[in-house]
Amino acid sequence: MKEHHYAGLRRSILGSMILVPVIPFVLILGIGYYYFTTSIETSTIASMKRIVEDHRHMIDSFLRERRANLEFILHSYNYDDLADPAVLYNIFTNLQKESSAFVDLGIFNEEGIHVNYQGPYKLVGRDYGKENWFKEVMKEGYYVSDIFLGFRRIPHFVIALKREVAGKAWVVRATIDTYMFNDLVKKVRIGKTGEAYILNVEGIFQTERRSGGNLMDKDPENVKYPSSHSGIVTFLQKDERGDEYCYATTWLKDKKWLLVVRQEKADAFRALRSAGFLIILITVIGGGAIIGLAFYLTGRIVRRMQRMDAEKDELGQQLVRASRLAEIGEMATGIAHEINNPLQVMKSEQGLMEVILSDLKEKGELKESEDLKELEDSIDQIKLQIDRCSKITHAVLRFGRESEVVSTDIDLRDFIPDVISMVENKANVEGITITEEISADISPIKGDPGQLQQVLINLFNNAIDAIVERHGSEGGKLNVGAGPKGDGRVEIYVKDNGVGISPENLKKVFSPFFTTKPVGKGTGLGLSVCYGIIDNMGGVMEVSSEKGAGTKFTIDLPAAA
Amino acid sequence: MEQMKMMLVDDEERFLSTTKKLLTKKGYDVFIATSGAEALEKLRTQNIHVVILDVKMPGMDGIETLKAIKRTFPMVEVIMLTGHATVESAVEGLHSGATDYLTKPTDVNDLITKAEEAFEKRQRLEEKIRVAQTRSFMKSPREIIRDTE
Repeated sequence: MKEHHYAGLRRSILGSMILVPVIPFVLILGIGYYYFTTSIETSTIASMKRIVEDHRHMIDSFLRERRANLEFILHSYNYDDLADPAVLYNIFTNLQKESSAFVDLGIFNEEGIHVNYQGPYKLVGRDYGKENWFKEVMKEGYYVSDIFLGFRRIPHFVIALKREVAGKAWVVRATIDTYMFNDLVKKVRIGKTGEAYILNVEGIFQTERRSGGNLMDKDPENVKYPSSHSGIVTFLQKDERGDEYCYATTWLKDKKWLLVVRQEKADAFRALRSAGFLIILITVIGGGAIIGLAFYLTGRIVRRMQRMDAEKDELGQQLVRASRLAEIGEMATGIAHEINNPLQVMKSEQGLMEVILSDLKEKGELKESEDLKELEDSIDQIKLQIDRCSKITHAVLRFGRESEVVSTDIDLRDFIPDVISMVENKANVEGITITEEISADISPIKGDPGQLQQVLINLFNNAIDAIVERHGSEGGKLNVGAGPKGDGRVEIYVKDNGVGISPENLKKVFSPFFTTKPVGKGTGLGLSVCYGIIDNMGGVMEVSSEKGAGTKFTIDLPAAA
Repeated sequence: MEQMKMMLVDDEERFLSTTKKLLTKKGYDVFIATSGAEALEKLRTQNIHVVILDVKMPGMDGIETLKAIKRTFPMVEVIMLTGHATVESAVEGLHSGATDYLTKPTDVNDLITKAEEAFEKRQRLEEKIRVAQTRSFMKSPREIIRDTE
């Protein structure tokens, strides 16, 4: 039942000692991780968005500029000028100065016949009337193609513009090298895996992709196409290998091209991963430390409590023993008292016998004889034994609490040697040398000699026990002294070279029921009773001790007035 | 000189009879009583000087008896006889007017010594009373006549 109690106690202490620090600990780590994650994600996505935004802007303005170049040509020259190869040569040369991206420049009439051309190929006279781009430009007035390899196996795209004056229409078309373009997009690099590329509506690469994907190839990833016309869309998507990527996309060129910026998620959130790893490490180490400490402290607390409970039990048992002892003492006192009555009768009878005997002898009725002598001796012996019984009963009664306190002047010069002589025999047996240092000019003190004797004998016995424990039966020294202390006070000391008392026990030596002796050997009452006696006499009892060196008890008493 | 008359009061009859024999042999006039009531009764009929009174008796105990004696016969000297454990009672007895106390088992010689002392004390007291009465007689005979009436 007791063990069960301690187990419950241990559980509740352990529980609170672990929970109380662990909850804030985990909360702090969790909150920190959450905010760190959010901030990293936000900043990563923001930087991807910024890249998308910047590149869209650049590509859009590149396209716009090229278109503006052509529009400028279209509106600065009439059809006849443009149909003149010399003029077109000049225009093309100027155009190439404007932007080296221009590869060629051609003029078409409304039937789609290539009427004039400046560039690396001979294309004049070809009919493009059936081509889709031509139909488109005739219808819309403006056309930008996807990137294609065309006749020349070089990636390029075309921009075509139509002008119509007085029912007559013509078209100017320029081929634009995409190297510029490609470079621009390919240069984008975020972390290790961050890249950018352009797809057309069918998912064909319009620029090379660094992580694999040639121009004009089909994108294996099937990137989600955003539905909105404008703005940047971000999302997560797995590639064919199952790696997750962060994507930021936006439409270019009137929803015909899609600018894609993507980065492997593991790469984008690398810092996050190392933070997460650190957090787990801290959690494991910190949590382990908390739990370990909790176990250690709980163990200590519970052990301390067990020890205190055990001490309490021991104290309780001592109390029971002491009260039983007191009961026995009371009983003994009662018995001693009752025995005094028959002793009184016996004493009277014996007295009477003596008187009668001497009467008879006087009258001469008894002759002196051996027998008579023996009878007298026998009667004397009875008297002796009655006195002996009486001494015993009185000793028991003196021990009992009801013994009277007789206060008289005590001359310590005689008194202390008398008391020492009572223990001398015992000390000699244990090989203890007793030295007395009693000052000749010591004043008498007032008190009950029996009680003072009890105090001194108690101290002597304790000292002898301590000496025997340390030295066995040789080398013991007991030093008893007394002398005036000034201020009308007298000091008695009892000093031994025994085992000594540990500092923690030293505080408790005068407490009732405190004993270091084995169970049943000491009541723990001796010194506390001594303390009480000295206190009643108006004195002070003190102790000083060093473990392993010896103990000194000092009694400070007022001298008799 | 008047002969001392003493009375032993104790519930132990054998003690009473033996001690009486002893004291009688030593030439004392001794009465005995086994209870407080009997003691008071005997005091009424006899002119007893010293009472040796056991503290612990059934019925009326020593202290009660002592108080009753002192109330009725203030001139009687009482010596308390106590088993050691009732020394407090003996002290209480001294406070209530007992002359002295003896602890059991007491030697008959001690008993005689203390009884003699008590008797002497009583005689001194009687002597003083006599002197005082004589003085007042010298002063006003009529007052003495009135006192004795």
